[in-house]
Amino acid sequence: MDRVIILENVKKHFGNEEALKGMTVEIAKGEVFGLLGPSGSGKTTTIKILTGELGPSEGRVEVLGRSHESFNSTQYVKSLGILSDNSALYERLTVKDNLALFRKLYNTEQTKVDQVLKDVGLEKHIDKRVKDLSKGMKQRILLCKAVLHEPEVLFLDEPTSALDPGTTESIHAMLLKIKAQGTTIMLTTHNMDEATALCDTVAFLNNGTITDMGSSESLRQAYKTNEIHITYRNGTTRHIQRTIENRSQLEKALFDPEAVNIESDYPTLGEVFKKVTGKELV
Amino acid sequence: MNTGRIMAIFEKDLKEFTRNAMLFTTILLPIILAFMYSRMGGEALPAMLVYLIVGVAFSAILCSGIMTMMAEENEKNTLRGLMQSPASMLDILAGKSLVVVLMTAVSLIISFLIMDVAFEWSIASIGGLILLALFFLNVGIAVGLTVDSVATTSVYLLPIMFIFGFTPMIEMVVPDSDHFIRRLTDYLPLYQNISLHGEETTVPLLILLAWTLVSFLYVTWAFRKRMSDEVK
Repeated sequence: MDRVIILENVKKHFGNEEALKGMTVEIAKGEVFGLLGPSGSGKTTTIKILTGELGPSEGRVEVLGRSHESFNSTQYVKSLGILSDNSALYERLTVKDNLALFRKLYNTEQTKVDQVLKDVGLEKHIDKRVKDLSKGMKQRILLCKAVLHEPEVLFLDEPTSALDPGTTESIHAMLLKIKAQGTTIMLTTHNMDEATALCDTVAFLNNGTITDMGSSESLRQAYKTNEIHITYRNGTTRHIQRTIENRSQLEKALFDPEAVNIESDYPTLGEVFKKVTGKELV
Repeated sequence: MNTGRIMAIFEKDLKEFTRNAMLFTTILLPIILAFMYSRMGGEALPAMLVYLIVGVAFSAILCSGIMTMMAEENEKNTLRGLMQSPASMLDILAGKSLVVVLMTAVSLIISFLIMDVAFEWSIASIGGLILLALFFLNVGIAVGLTVDSVATTSVYLLPIMFIFGFTPMIEMVVPDSDHFIRRLTDYLPLYQNISLHGEETTVPLLILLAWTLVSFLYVTWAFRKRMSDEVK
Protein backbone atom coordinates (compact mmCIF):
# COMPACT_ATOMS: atom_id res chain seq x y z
CA MET A 1 0.00 0.00 0.00
CA ASP A 2 1.38 3.39 -1.03
CA ARG A 3 0.60 5.47 2.06
CA VAL A 4 0.18 9.19 1.40
CA ILE A 5 -1.00 10.32 4.85
CA ILE A 6 0.21 8.87 8.14
CA LEU A 7 -0.95 10.00 11.56
CA GLU A 8 0.55 7.99 14.40
CA ASN A 9 -0.64 8.57 17.96
CA VAL A 10 -1.14 12.26 17.23
CA LYS A 11 -2.15 14.44 20.14
CA LYS A 12 -3.00 18.11 20.15
CA HIS A 13 -3.43 20.26 23.25
CA PHE A 14 -4.86 23.76 23.44
CA GLY A 15 -3.89 24.77 26.97
CA ASN A 16 -5.45 22.18 29.26
CA GLU A 17 -7.87 21.01 26.60
CA GLU A 18 -6.92 17.92 24.60
CA ALA A 19 -8.39 18.27 21.10
CA LEU A 20 -6.83 15.07 19.72
CA LYS A 21 -6.12 12.14 22.04
CA GLY A 22 -3.75 9.91 20.11
CA MET A 23 -5.10 9.64 16.59
CA THR A 24 -3.72 6.93 14.32
CA VAL A 25 -4.74 6.85 10.65
CA GLU A 26 -3.14 5.75 7.39
CA ILE A 27 -4.52 6.87 4.03
CA ALA A 28 -3.47 5.24 0.77
CA LYS A 29 -2.82 6.99 -2.53
CA GLY A 30 -6.04 7.67 -4.43
CA GLU A 31 -8.21 6.91 -1.41
CA VAL A 32 -11.10 9.12 -0.34
CA PHE A 33 -11.04 9.22 3.44
CA GLY A 34 -13.93 10.70 5.39
CA LEU A 35 -13.57 11.97 8.94
CA LEU A 36 -17.00 11.98 10.51
CA GLY A 37 -17.82 13.58 13.79
CA PRO A 38 -19.93 16.16 15.55
CA SER A 39 -18.80 19.79 15.99
CA GLY A 40 -15.82 20.04 18.32
CA SER A 41 -14.74 16.43 17.80
CA GLY A 42 -11.34 17.41 16.34
CA LYS A 43 -12.01 17.19 12.57
CA THR A 44 -10.82 20.71 11.70
CA THR A 45 -7.83 20.41 14.06
CA THR A 46 -6.78 17.25 12.18
CA ILE A 47 -7.03 19.02 8.81
CA LYS A 48 -5.10 22.02 10.17
CA ILE A 49 -2.31 19.75 11.40
CA LEU A 50 -2.09 18.02 8.03
CA THR A 51 -1.99 21.31 6.12
CA GLY A 52 0.67 22.77 8.41
CA GLU A 53 -1.58 25.41 9.95
CA LEU A 54 -1.13 23.80 13.36
CA GLY A 55 1.65 21.70 14.74
CA PRO A 56 0.94 18.46 16.65
CA SER A 57 1.68 18.41 20.38
CA GLU A 58 2.81 14.76 20.17
CA GLY A 59 2.99 11.96 17.64
CA ARG A 60 4.10 11.42 14.06
CA VAL A 61 2.53 13.25 11.12
CA GLU A 62 3.63 12.49 7.58
CA VAL A 63 2.11 13.55 4.26
CA LEU A 64 3.60 12.61 0.88
CA GLY A 65 6.72 11.36 2.64
CA ARG A 66 7.29 14.67 4.46
CA SER A 67 7.17 15.08 8.21
CA HIS A 68 5.23 18.01 9.66
CA GLU A 69 8.41 20.03 10.29
CA SER A 70 8.72 20.59 6.53
CA PHE A 71 5.06 21.37 5.83
CA ASN A 72 5.82 25.04 5.19
CA SER A 73 7.96 24.33 2.13
CA THR A 74 6.71 25.69 -1.21
CA GLN A 75 6.92 22.24 -2.80
CA TYR A 76 4.64 20.78 -0.12
CA VAL A 77 2.16 23.65 -0.37
CA LYS A 78 2.04 23.17 -4.16
CA SER A 79 1.08 19.51 -3.75
CA LEU A 80 -1.97 20.33 -1.59
CA GLY A 81 -5.43 21.61 -2.39
CA ILE A 82 -7.39 23.02 0.54
CA LEU A 83 -11.04 23.94 0.85
CA SER A 84 -11.99 24.83 4.39
CA ASP A 85 -15.14 26.25 5.89
CA ASN A 86 -13.47 29.65 6.16
CA SER A 87 -11.95 29.74 2.67
CA ALA A 88 -12.83 33.00 0.96
CA LEU A 89 -12.66 34.84 -2.35
CA TYR A 90 -12.01 38.49 -3.21
CA GLU A 91 -15.57 39.81 -3.41
CA ARG A 92 -14.80 42.97 -5.42
CA LEU A 93 -12.96 41.01 -8.10
CA THR A 94 -14.44 38.83 -10.85
CA VAL A 95 -14.30 35.05 -10.92
CA LYS A 96 -11.66 35.40 -13.64
CA ASP A 97 -9.48 37.74 -11.52
CA ASN A 98 -9.75 35.48 -8.47
CA LEU A 99 -8.72 32.37 -10.37
CA ALA A 100 -6.06 34.29 -12.34
CA LEU A 101 -4.33 35.17 -9.05
CA PHE A 102 -4.07 31.54 -7.96
CA ARG A 103 -3.23 30.35 -11.48
CA LYS A 104 -0.23 32.70 -11.42
CA LEU A 105 0.76 31.80 -7.84
CA TYR A 106 0.75 28.09 -8.77
CA ASN A 107 2.15 28.75 -12.26
CA THR A 108 -0.69 26.83 -13.93
CA GLU A 109 -2.01 27.03 -17.51
CA GLN A 110 -5.15 29.06 -18.31
CA THR A 111 -6.64 25.95 -19.98
CA LYS A 112 -6.77 24.27 -16.57
CA VAL A 113 -8.81 27.18 -15.19
CA ASP A 114 -11.23 26.92 -18.12
CA GLN A 115 -11.50 23.17 -17.55
CA VAL A 116 -12.32 23.32 -13.82
CA LEU A 117 -14.86 26.10 -14.39
CA LYS A 118 -16.53 23.93 -17.03
CA ASP A 119 -16.49 20.97 -14.64
CA VAL A 120 -18.54 22.90 -12.08
CA GLY A 121 -20.74 24.51 -14.73
CA LEU A 122 -19.67 28.10 -14.07
CA GLU A 123 -17.81 28.94 -17.29
CA LYS A 124 -20.50 31.48 -18.24
CA HIS A 125 -20.04 33.38 -14.97
CA ILE A 126 -16.32 34.08 -15.39
CA ASP A 127 -16.76 37.86 -15.76
CA LYS A 128 -19.14 38.23 -12.83
CA ARG A 129 -17.96 39.81 -9.61
CA VAL A 130 -17.82 37.31 -6.77
CA LYS A 131 -20.08 39.48 -4.60
CA ASP A 132 -22.87 38.93 -7.17
CA LEU A 133 -22.68 35.12 -6.95
CA SER A 134 -24.81 32.82 -4.77
CA LYS A 135 -23.28 30.91 -1.84
CA GLY A 136 -23.35 27.69 -3.83
CA MET A 137 -21.57 29.31 -6.79
CA LYS A 138 -18.90 30.74 -4.47
CA GLN A 139 -18.33 27.30 -2.98
CA ARG A 140 -17.88 25.84 -6.46
CA ILE A 141 -15.37 28.59 -7.32
CA LEU A 142 -13.51 27.81 -4.08
CA LEU A 143 -13.34 24.18 -5.14
CA CYS A 144 -11.98 25.28 -8.54
CA LYS A 145 -9.35 27.35 -6.70
CA ALA A 146 -8.41 24.31 -4.59
CA VAL A 147 -7.93 21.95 -7.54
CA LEU A 148 -6.75 24.08 -10.48
CA HIS A 149 -3.08 23.21 -9.83
CA GLU A 150 -3.93 19.46 -9.81
CA PRO A 151 -2.87 18.75 -6.21
CA GLU A 152 -1.75 15.29 -5.12
CA VAL A 153 -3.75 15.56 -1.90
CA LEU A 154 -7.01 17.45 -1.46
CA PHE A 155 -8.23 18.46 2.01
CA LEU A 156 -11.89 19.37 2.24
CA ASP A 157 -13.34 20.65 5.50
CA GLU A 158 -17.15 20.44 5.33
CA PRO A 159 -17.21 21.04 1.55
CA THR A 160 -21.01 21.02 1.18
CA SER A 161 -22.06 22.41 4.55
CA ALA A 162 -25.32 24.41 4.27
CA LEU A 163 -25.48 24.09 0.47
CA ASP A 164 -28.56 23.27 -1.59
CA PRO A 165 -28.92 19.72 -3.00
CA GLY A 166 -28.15 20.84 -6.59
CA THR A 167 -24.83 22.44 -5.62
CA THR A 168 -23.97 19.49 -3.38
CA GLU A 169 -24.59 17.12 -6.29
CA SER A 170 -22.42 19.24 -8.60
CA ILE A 171 -19.58 19.27 -6.03
CA HIS A 172 -19.88 15.51 -5.51
CA ALA A 173 -19.70 14.94 -9.27
CA MET A 174 -16.52 17.00 -9.47
CA LEU A 175 -14.98 15.20 -6.49
CA LEU A 176 -15.70 11.82 -8.04
CA LYS A 177 -13.96 13.03 -11.20
CA ILE A 178 -10.94 14.19 -9.16
CA LYS A 179 -10.95 10.84 -7.33
CA ALA A 180 -10.93 9.00 -10.67
CA GLN A 181 -7.77 10.92 -11.58
CA GLY A 182 -6.02 9.34 -8.58
CA THR A 183 -6.02 12.30 -6.19
CA THR A 184 -6.01 11.40 -2.51
CA ILE A 185 -8.88 13.16 -0.75
CA MET A 186 -9.47 13.69 2.93
CA LEU A 187 -12.78 15.25 3.84
CA THR A 188 -14.62 16.05 7.01
CA THR A 189 -18.37 16.02 7.05
CA HIS A 190 -21.54 15.74 9.11
CA ASN A 191 -23.35 14.43 6.08
CA MET A 192 -23.69 10.64 6.09
CA ASP A 193 -25.01 10.51 2.53
CA GLU A 194 -21.94 12.42 1.41
CA ALA A 195 -19.65 10.01 3.25
CA THR A 196 -21.45 7.00 1.79
CA ALA A 197 -21.38 8.42 -1.74
CA LEU A 198 -17.75 9.56 -1.80
CA CYS A 199 -15.61 7.79 0.78
CA ASP A 200 -13.70 4.54 0.47
CA THR A 201 -13.01 4.68 4.20
CA VAL A 202 -14.76 6.54 6.96
CA ALA A 203 -13.54 7.13 10.50
CA PHE A 204 -15.76 8.17 13.40
CA LEU A 205 -14.13 10.90 15.44
CA ASN A 206 -15.56 11.61 18.87
CA ASN A 207 -13.92 13.82 21.52
CA GLY A 208 -10.57 13.63 19.76
CA THR A 209 -10.57 9.84 19.51
CA ILE A 210 -11.26 7.60 16.52
CA THR A 211 -13.90 5.22 17.74
CA ASP A 212 -14.26 3.10 14.61
CA MET A 213 -13.03 3.01 11.05
CA GLY A 214 -13.71 1.09 7.86
CA SER A 215 -15.66 1.22 4.63
CA SER A 216 -19.17 2.54 4.95
CA GLU A 217 -20.56 -0.90 4.03
CA SER A 218 -18.36 -2.79 6.48
CA LEU A 219 -19.34 -0.47 9.34
CA ARG A 220 -23.04 -0.91 8.57
CA GLN A 221 -22.56 -4.68 8.39
CA ALA A 222 -20.65 -4.72 11.65
CA TYR A 223 -23.34 -2.88 13.56
CA LYS A 224 -26.44 -4.50 12.10
CA THR A 225 -28.57 -6.58 14.45
CA ASN A 226 -30.57 -9.69 13.70
CA GLU A 227 -33.90 -7.97 14.21
CA ILE A 228 -36.85 -7.64 11.86
CA HIS A 229 -38.99 -4.55 12.40
CA ILE A 230 -42.69 -4.77 11.58
CA THR A 231 -44.84 -1.65 11.43
CA TYR A 232 -48.62 -2.07 11.59
CA ARG A 233 -51.38 0.04 10.10
CA ASN A 234 -52.35 1.36 13.56
CA GLY A 235 -48.81 2.75 14.02
CA THR A 236 -47.50 0.13 16.43
CA THR A 237 -44.19 -1.62 15.77
CA ARG A 238 -42.89 -5.04 16.67
CA HIS A 239 -39.31 -6.33 16.70
CA ILE A 240 -38.66 -10.02 16.13
CA GLN A 241 -35.28 -11.75 16.26
CA ARG A 242 -34.50 -13.51 12.98
CA THR A 243 -34.12 -17.03 14.35
CA ILE A 244 -35.45 -20.47 13.41
CA GLU A 245 -37.62 -20.43 16.53
CA ASN A 246 -39.34 -17.25 15.34
CA ARG A 247 -39.90 -18.52 11.78
CA SER A 248 -43.66 -18.96 12.14
CA GLN A 249 -44.07 -15.47 13.64
CA LEU A 250 -42.09 -13.97 10.80
CA GLU A 251 -44.09 -15.86 8.14
CA LYS A 252 -47.31 -14.76 9.79
CA ALA A 253 -46.19 -11.13 9.75
CA LEU A 254 -45.25 -11.44 6.10
CA PHE A 255 -48.82 -12.28 5.10
CA ASP A 256 -50.54 -10.13 7.72
CA PRO A 257 -52.65 -7.48 5.86
CA GLU A 258 -52.28 -5.16 8.90
CA ALA A 259 -48.46 -5.14 8.55
CA VAL A 260 -47.62 -2.16 6.32
CA ASN A 261 -43.82 -2.31 6.49
CA ILE A 262 -41.32 -5.07 7.21
CA GLU A 263 -37.61 -4.33 7.26
CA SER A 264 -34.42 -5.83 8.53
CA ASP A 265 -32.20 -3.81 10.85
CA TYR A 266 -29.52 -2.53 8.48
CA PRO A 267 -28.40 0.72 10.07
CA THR A 268 -27.49 3.85 8.17
CA LEU A 269 -24.04 5.30 8.77
CA GLY A 270 -25.68 7.91 11.03
CA GLU A 271 -27.28 5.19 13.11
CA VAL A 272 -23.98 3.35 13.34
CA PHE A 273 -22.34 6.57 14.53
CA LYS A 274 -24.99 6.92 17.23
CA LYS A 275 -24.50 3.32 18.30
CA VAL A 276 -20.74 3.77 18.52
CA THR A 277 -20.58 7.19 20.18
CA GLY A 278 -24.00 7.59 21.72
CA LYS A 279 -24.24 10.95 19.94
CA GLU A 280 -26.16 12.37 16.99
CA LEU A 281 -24.02 13.64 14.12
CA VAL A 282 -24.80 17.37 14.22
CA MET B 1 10.75 35.91 -2.60
CA ASN B 2 9.52 35.22 -6.11
CA THR B 3 9.02 37.96 -8.72
CA GLY B 4 6.20 36.15 -10.51
CA ARG B 5 4.22 35.70 -7.32
CA ILE B 6 4.91 39.30 -6.20
CA MET B 7 3.59 40.57 -9.54
CA ALA B 8 0.49 38.32 -9.29
CA ILE B 9 -0.30 39.85 -5.88
CA PHE B 10 0.52 43.36 -7.18
CA GLU B 11 -1.94 42.95 -10.10
CA LYS B 12 -4.66 41.60 -7.80
CA ASP B 13 -4.16 44.35 -5.22
CA LEU B 14 -4.00 47.11 -7.83
CA LYS B 15 -7.47 46.02 -9.00
CA GLU B 16 -8.69 45.79 -5.41
CA PHE B 17 -7.27 49.25 -4.59
CA THR B 18 -8.95 50.93 -7.58
CA ARG B 19 -12.29 49.20 -6.81
CA ASN B 20 -12.22 50.13 -3.13
CA ALA B 21 -13.77 53.62 -2.91
CA MET B 22 -12.39 54.21 0.59
CA LEU B 23 -8.80 53.54 -0.50
CA PHE B 24 -8.99 55.07 -3.94
CA THR B 25 -10.29 58.42 -2.71
CA THR B 26 -7.29 58.79 -0.37
CA ILE B 27 -5.25 59.59 -3.49
CA LEU B 28 -7.32 62.76 -3.84
CA LEU B 29 -6.53 64.07 -0.35
CA PRO B 30 -3.00 65.44 -1.05
CA ILE B 31 -4.13 66.65 -4.48
CA ILE B 32 -7.03 68.66 -3.00
CA LEU B 33 -4.71 70.13 -0.33
CA ALA B 34 -2.14 70.99 -3.01
CA PHE B 35 -4.84 72.70 -5.06
CA MET B 36 -5.91 74.76 -2.03
CA TYR B 37 -2.34 75.78 -1.15
CA SER B 38 -1.57 76.68 -4.75
CA ARG B 39 -4.47 79.18 -4.64
CA MET B 40 -2.98 80.97 -1.63
CA GLY B 41 -0.93 83.20 -3.92
CA GLY B 42 2.28 84.96 -2.96
CA GLU B 43 5.79 83.68 -3.43
CA ALA B 44 6.98 80.10 -3.76
CA LEU B 45 5.44 77.69 -1.24
CA PRO B 46 7.48 77.17 1.93
CA ALA B 47 9.07 73.76 2.56
CA MET B 48 6.75 73.25 5.51
CA LEU B 49 3.64 73.28 3.30
CA VAL B 50 5.24 71.01 0.72
CA TYR B 51 6.16 68.53 3.45
CA LEU B 52 2.69 68.78 4.92
CA ILE B 53 1.46 67.41 1.57
CA VAL B 54 4.18 64.73 1.72
CA GLY B 55 3.11 63.83 5.26
CA VAL B 56 -0.53 63.63 4.25
CA ALA B 57 0.30 61.46 1.21
CA PHE B 58 2.57 59.12 3.15
CA SER B 59 0.20 58.71 6.10
CA ALA B 60 -3.12 58.65 4.20
CA ILE B 61 -2.08 56.56 1.18
CA LEU B 62 1.16 54.69 1.90
CA CYS B 63 0.61 53.88 5.58
CA SER B 64 -3.19 53.69 5.64
CA GLY B 65 -3.37 51.86 2.29
CA ILE B 66 -1.20 48.91 3.23
CA MET B 67 -2.66 48.81 6.74
CA THR B 68 -6.21 48.64 5.38
CA MET B 69 -5.37 46.07 2.70
CA MET B 70 -3.73 43.75 5.23
CA ALA B 71 -6.57 44.23 7.74
CA GLU B 72 -9.16 43.48 5.07
CA GLU B 73 -7.36 40.28 4.07
CA ASN B 74 -7.44 39.26 7.75
CA GLU B 75 -11.06 40.24 8.24
CA LYS B 76 -12.33 38.43 5.15
CA ASN B 77 -10.17 35.34 5.61
CA THR B 78 -8.51 35.78 2.21
CA LEU B 79 -5.03 36.05 3.77
CA ARG B 80 -5.36 32.41 4.87
CA GLY B 81 -5.92 31.43 1.21
CA LEU B 82 -2.78 33.30 0.16
CA MET B 83 -0.77 31.76 2.99
CA GLN B 84 -1.92 28.29 1.91
CA SER B 85 -0.61 29.01 -1.61
CA PRO B 86 3.09 29.04 -2.64
CA ALA B 87 3.19 32.80 -1.91
CA SER B 88 5.22 33.65 1.18
CA MET B 89 4.32 36.45 3.58
CA LEU B 90 7.21 38.46 2.11
CA ASP B 91 5.79 38.00 -1.43
CA ILE B 92 2.41 39.20 -0.16
CA LEU B 93 3.87 42.25 1.61
CA ALA B 94 6.07 43.15 -1.38
CA GLY B 95 3.13 42.93 -3.83
CA LYS B 96 0.96 45.12 -1.64
CA SER B 97 3.76 47.60 -0.93
CA LEU B 98 4.30 48.11 -4.68
CA VAL B 99 0.65 49.11 -5.06
CA VAL B 100 0.69 51.72 -2.29
CA VAL B 101 4.10 53.07 -3.38
CA LEU B 102 2.76 53.50 -6.92
CA MET B 103 -0.44 55.19 -5.74
CA THR B 104 1.47 57.52 -3.38
CA ALA B 105 3.94 58.43 -6.13
CA VAL B 106 1.12 59.27 -8.56
CA SER B 107 -0.66 61.40 -5.96
CA LEU B 108 2.53 63.24 -4.93
CA ILE B 109 3.65 63.94 -8.50
CA ILE B 110 0.24 65.42 -9.37
CA SER B 111 0.27 67.44 -6.11
CA PHE B 112 3.77 68.80 -6.79
CA LEU B 113 2.78 69.75 -10.33
CA ILE B 114 -0.28 71.59 -9.03
CA MET B 115 1.76 73.39 -6.36
CA ASP B 116 4.56 74.12 -8.82
CA VAL B 117 7.18 73.12 -6.22
CA ALA B 118 10.22 75.18 -7.04
CA PHE B 119 12.88 74.28 -4.49
CA GLU B 120 15.97 72.21 -5.12
CA TRP B 121 15.94 68.49 -4.32
CA SER B 122 19.38 67.62 -3.00
CA ILE B 123 20.59 64.03 -2.61
CA ALA B 124 20.13 64.42 1.16
CA SER B 125 16.50 65.57 0.77
CA ILE B 126 15.72 62.73 -1.67
CA GLY B 127 17.39 60.25 0.68
CA GLY B 128 15.34 61.71 3.53
CA LEU B 129 12.16 61.32 1.50
CA ILE B 130 12.97 57.64 0.88
CA LEU B 131 13.66 57.08 4.60
CA LEU B 132 10.36 58.78 5.47
CA ALA B 133 8.52 56.58 2.96
CA LEU B 134 10.11 53.46 4.48
CA PHE B 135 9.10 54.64 7.95
CA PHE B 136 5.43 55.04 6.99
CA LEU B 137 5.40 51.81 4.98
CA ASN B 138 6.88 49.82 7.87
CA VAL B 139 4.43 51.29 10.39
CA GLY B 140 1.52 50.51 8.02
CA ILE B 141 2.69 46.92 7.48
CA ALA B 142 3.30 46.37 11.20
CA VAL B 143 -0.17 47.57 12.19
CA GLY B 144 -1.73 45.65 9.26
CA LEU B 145 -0.05 42.45 10.46
CA THR B 146 -1.37 42.79 14.00
CA VAL B 147 -4.98 43.95 13.55
CA ASP B 148 -7.89 41.68 12.61
CA SER B 149 -10.35 44.15 11.09
CA VAL B 150 -10.47 47.30 9.00
CA ALA B 151 -12.39 49.07 11.77
CA THR B 152 -9.50 48.56 14.20
CA THR B 153 -7.03 50.29 11.86
CA SER B 154 -8.61 53.69 12.56
CA VAL B 155 -7.57 53.37 16.22
CA TYR B 156 -3.96 53.30 15.04
CA LEU B 157 -4.30 55.46 11.96
CA LEU B 158 -5.62 58.65 13.56
CA PRO B 159 -2.69 59.17 15.96
CA ILE B 160 -0.21 58.12 13.26
CA MET B 161 -1.68 60.65 10.81
CA PHE B 162 -1.84 63.45 13.37
CA ILE B 163 1.61 62.95 14.92
CA PHE B 164 3.66 61.82 11.93
CA GLY B 165 1.67 62.96 8.89
CA PHE B 166 0.28 66.36 9.96
CA THR B 167 3.29 67.24 12.17
CA PRO B 168 3.37 70.98 11.24
CA MET B 169 -0.25 71.23 12.43
CA ILE B 170 0.97 70.61 16.00
CA GLU B 171 2.29 74.18 15.91
CA MET B 172 -1.30 75.39 15.62
CA VAL B 173 -2.41 73.29 18.57
CA VAL B 174 0.62 74.23 20.71
CA PRO B 175 1.69 77.76 19.62
CA ASP B 176 4.30 78.20 22.39
CA SER B 177 7.59 77.15 20.77
CA ASP B 178 9.20 76.60 24.20
CA HIS B 179 6.53 74.15 25.29
CA PHE B 180 7.97 70.65 25.91
CA ILE B 181 5.59 69.14 23.31
CA ARG B 182 6.97 71.52 20.70
CA ARG B 183 10.52 70.64 21.73
CA LEU B 184 9.67 66.94 21.37
CA THR B 185 8.06 67.43 17.97
CA ASP B 186 11.34 68.87 16.73
CA TYR B 187 12.56 65.27 16.68
CA LEU B 188 9.63 63.93 14.65
CA PRO B 189 10.58 62.60 11.20
CA LEU B 190 8.77 65.14 9.03
CA TYR B 191 10.67 68.05 10.65
CA GLN B 192 13.94 66.32 9.77
CA ASN B 193 12.89 66.27 6.12
CA ILE B 194 12.18 70.02 6.29
CA SER B 195 15.55 70.59 7.95
CA LEU B 196 17.28 68.72 5.12
CA HIS B 197 16.57 71.74 2.89
CA GLY B 198 18.76 73.86 5.21
CA GLU B 199 22.52 73.78 5.69
CA GLU B 200 22.73 71.12 8.42
CA THR B 201 21.90 67.69 6.98
CA THR B 202 23.85 65.14 9.05
CA VAL B 203 21.84 65.34 12.28
CA PRO B 204 18.40 65.37 10.58
CA LEU B 205 19.47 62.39 8.44
CA LEU B 206 20.66 60.49 11.52
CA ILE B 207 17.39 61.20 13.36
CA LEU B 208 15.42 60.05 10.30
CA LEU B 209 17.57 56.95 10.07
CA ALA B 210 16.84 56.23 13.74
CA TRP B 211 13.08 56.52 13.13
CA THR B 212 13.36 54.19 10.13
CA LEU B 213 15.33 51.67 12.18
CA VAL B 214 12.71 51.78 14.91
CA SER B 215 10.01 51.17 12.28
CA PHE B 216 12.03 48.19 10.96
CA LEU B 217 12.22 46.77 14.49
CA TYR B 218 8.45 47.27 14.84
CA VAL B 219 7.69 45.54 11.53
CA THR B 220 10.10 42.68 12.33
CA TRP B 221 8.39 42.15 15.70
CA ALA B 222 4.92 42.23 14.05
CA PHE B 223 6.07 39.84 11.30
CA ARG B 224 7.55 37.33 13.78
CA LYS B 225 4.47 37.54 15.98
CA ARG B 226 2.23 36.94 12.97
CA MET B 227 4.28 33.99 11.72
CA SER B 228 4.36 32.37 15.18
CA ASP B 229 0.57 32.81 15.37
CA GLU B 230 0.22 31.05 12.00
CA VAL B 231 1.64 27.75 13.30
CA LYS B 232 0.74 27.00 16.92
